[in-house]
Amino acid sequence: MYKGIELTISFWVAMSMSYAFCFSALYAYATLPDYLLDPNNTAQIKTTLKLSTIRLMIVSLALIAYPIVLFKFFKYAKYVTVALTSWATTIYIDDYFVLVEIVEYPDSGLISLVQLSRPIIILSLIWMSFELTFRSQTEV
Amino acid sequence: MNEKDTKNLEFATIFGNTPSSQSKGKDHIVQSSTFRLILSFINLYALITIALFFLIKGNLVAGVNTNFLDKEGFWHILNSRAIILLVLLVFLNASAYCNYGFKYACLVLIVYMLNSAIDNAVLFSGFMHLTDRPYLSAFTITRPLFIISLFWVMIIHKYKFKSD
Repeated sequence: MYKGIELTISFWVAMSMSYAFCFSALYAYATLPDYLLDPNNTAQIKTTLKLSTIRLMIVSLALIAYPIVLFKFFKYAKYVTVALTSWATTIYIDDYFVLVEIVEYPDSGLISLVQLSRPIIILSLIWMSFELTFRSQTEV
Repeated sequence: MNEKDTKNLEFATIFGNTPSSQSKGKDHIVQSSTFRLILSFINLYALITIALFFLIKGNLVAGVNTNFLDKEGFWHILNSRAIILLVLLVFLNASAYCNYGFKYACLVLIVYMLNSAIDNAVLFSGFMHLTDRPYLSAFTITRPLFIISLFWVMIIHKYKFKSD
């Protein structure tokens, strides 16, 4: 069906993990408990929710666009993957080193789980980038 | 190669007019002048931004009120961002010098700049207006120019000789 795309199983596993993570993040923020949306929340939580909404919009766009790029414009898939990897790493570094005084994630079970599994998605994306980059180099 | 050809090649070499196929012995690629110009602009822009921040931070510019930096952790954020930008700039120049992974270094810097622009717009739009501090706003307004330059330099960068 998709001639020319011969990626290893580990790539597909990494991609599935990334998709699973993104969908759980979307689900976690879409089903936030009512008490977290209280206007009396701390300023940090309000800011975090505002920032998370914008990030999740970008994630949704990436979830839709990535398969299109992978199957239709495979030549550019490595650049898109590297860009997404660097974005995931950047926002992780931002949250834990740069915006540490401003951002405070709500204390909800699923959100905490999503936060804890962020390094796993970064590793998955790094693997995908490596495979796409070095695979295309060996093919040339 | 006959004697006439050998002599022509000798003269061409002396006058620096050697055909490119014969000068491939020097194993480096000469980038276009546009590339060098844009890369210089990127370096200059980033270094002036970083230098300006550290000058303001160190109270070395007279007449600038630095109290606003203490608000809502703005100081810490700008400081961290300046250091990260400096590190990424070093990587960009190193990859340009070694001619390895330059496009990826550009891509990472573009993503970083876009992300920090979004973050700043979301977090600080409430208490900081563009007209408040023109010396900082100048860099915020011209940031798209920096990102466009990075895109441009990424596109025109050459990894190989065209004939290869």
